[in-house]
Amino acid sequence: MSESILAANPATREGRPWYRNRKLDQYICFWSVPFFYNLFGLVFVPLSWMMPPRSPTSDIADVIAFMQSPNLLIACTILTLAIGLSAVGNACYMVQMRRMSVSPVFLFAFMAGAIVGAVVGALFPMFCFGLGAFRSGYDPEILQMMYDFGYLSFIGSLGCFVLNWGMLGLAILLDKNNILPKWLGYYVIWQLMTEFFVATVWIAHDGPFAWDGLLAFWFNMVIYVPWQIIVYVCIFRAIRNQPENELRNARFKPGATYA
Amino acid sequence: MAITTADAEPLPDTNGNTTAPGLVPGEASMWFFILGDLLIFGVYFVCYMVYRGEHAGLFLQSQRHLDQGIGMSNTVVLLTSSLFVALGTEAARAGKAARATRLVGIAFACGAVFPILKLVEWLPKLGAGITPGENLFFMFYYLMTGLHLVHVLLGLVILGFVLRSLRSASTPNMKFIETGGIYWHMVDLLWLLLFALFYLIR
Amino acid sequence: MSTRGQLLLLWTTPVAGVLFLAAYLMFPGFSPPMSPTMTPEEVAAFLQANLTATRGVVIFVNLIGASLVPFFACIAVQMLRVGNSSPVFAYSYIICVGIGLTAFILADYCWGVAAYRPDRDPQLVSLLNDMAWFFFIAPAGLVVVQNLCLAGSIYLDARPKPVFPRWVAHFNVATAVLMIPGAFAILHKAGPLAWDGSLSFSLRLATFAVYVAVMFFVLLRVVQQPVESEGVLL
Repeated sequence: MSESILAANPATREGRPWYRNRKLDQYICFWSVPFFYNLFGLVFVPLSWMMPPRSPTSDIADVIAFMQSPNLLIACTILTLAIGLSAVGNACYMVQMRRMSVSPVFLFAFMAGAIVGAVVGALFPMFCFGLGAFRSGYDPEILQMMYDFGYLSFIGSLGCFVLNWGMLGLAILLDKNNILPKWLGYYVIWQLMTEFFVATVWIAHDGPFAWDGLLAFWFNMVIYVPWQIIVYVCIFRAIRNQPENELRNARFKPGATYA
Repeated sequence: MAITTADAEPLPDTNGNTTAPGLVPGEASMWFFILGDLLIFGVYFVCYMVYRGEHAGLFLQSQRHLDQGIGMSNTVVLLTSSLFVALGTEAARAGKAARATRLVGIAFACGAVFPILKLVEWLPKLGAGITPGENLFFMFYYLMTGLHLVHVLLGLVILGFVLRSLRSASTPNMKFIETGGIYWHMVDLLWLLLFALFYLIR
Repeated sequence: MSTRGQLLLLWTTPVAGVLFLAAYLMFPGFSPPMSPTMTPEEVAAFLQANLTATRGVVIFVNLIGASLVPFFACIAVQMLRVGNSSPVFAYSYIICVGIGLTAFILADYCWGVAAYRPDRDPQLVSLLNDMAWFFFIAPAGLVVVQNLCLAGSIYLDARPKPVFPRWVAHFNVATAVLMIPGAFAILHKAGPLAWDGSLSFSLRLATFAVYVAVMFFVLLRVVQQPVESEGVLL
């Protein structure tokens, strides 16, 4: 699919090789996103087995065994090195928001949310798990606390994502340049609703509303994963469809004198 | 320090009308949201019924704590509001802007009563220690009525913008008014379902 | 674009450097760096023995922790001038700075909380100490991506007269590579990759110090390019 999209790119059709593409900066950053999400999936699923979420009511022996599994440390290391890519992925949204007719306030509010989200939604929870594995011999209560802290922080980090998706959705709906399709704006706001549903994980220990519950986790995942893919496909199309003369580097002609 | 904040001339406003007029009322992409929202609520309703079947006793006992009177008043308030929105849209379509403003104004006032009634309903409950953590029923109850309340608040904001559009523009933006109206009817519809499931089915 | 404000902020970099150096020298946990193999009891005893200095440094770093931000902001503003098709690298850079700074300050807080009640359960003191080291390690990963963004932006500069000289891109890639071992301190408790090891600790901090110093002089020249009439696109 990616090849066909690239082939349809007007710049490559002009005969310019991909590495001379004017939008190469955007394409590099864009393609870091699937790379990052795969890494993210690798870190959280087969490497740490933190996802799919373990039960909040797990037996303490299971909690200890999980919290001390050495793979958690590998996961932590990879995440530490890669967390910066979350910034790159969010910057791809921001570039499109910047092109919209709306005020940059949306952009900067989004940026603040992106910073907080990376810390509370990824780095901190992973460290909670890694700390248990780093030093064997922590008391079971301490491990249980880090287990809870990790899961609640990872699954229950609401505010920054409400902010981010709210800003993105509103910006799309108010935009008059039609950078991203209007239905995507509604789709983003719709997805935002699922953030509210997650609030229950802070209360429920079992049943559909716990952090491994049918509604609070699985239903949200069913909505979230296709949504995330569709949003990035739309971002890709927005990059591809950006007219060449609108690019910031379009004014630099080789040989021209410009300070 | 010269800072340019716009890097491109904004393209002309295309008004966002992507479909042929008259096909569906309101902005076509808005239906995306309406149907999606109904889908989410639908899944929650189904889950509610399933868990209700599993824990029939618990749900029945917990339901007794709900005040059908307030639930009924909420329903009346929202239905009235919805009716006035429909009348207001009709008036706006007929070009009677002043009348439409008045009607939507009444709709707004009715809608604004809803959050107050919700607080009247919730605060004594929370005060009496009936919180979402109480049991599965109350988790469902607070979560879903709470999310519906968020929808109502958003709807009030939208109605506010509809009012502004009716009052300031010489030719009101019918698309926008219809979109707002549809959203408000959806909020109404969701409440009817909530009311039936939580208050009435015993 | 006026250069005065940028120059002013840029000149806070040497001040920040001196402040960080002072904090580094005063912090008992860094000279020599605490070993990851210390038992919880040893960590608690260590903090007890170095209470005043630790508290002092924690407060000091709490105050100066963000003092390098103006330096990074200068880089970001110049990145916005670079002739790329979009500001995507500059935006990534700024977010990375925010994440890295938050992690760094959380590290400071963890040591601060540990030193606030050093007589609490040694297990908790040790946990806070471990957490502090984890968060101290984390900014290394952010600097890696940050530097790669700056490098990418420079490589793709379409300006006939580039904003940054090209060697700065190579330099950024090189420093990014040298920062990578820092992240492996999470995996190792002994040897050069442990958090007190030569690669994870000494090499990383030395690389960062050299990086800031070199970039300071680079920026001194970049900021003073005669671009008064030019605007900056956010």
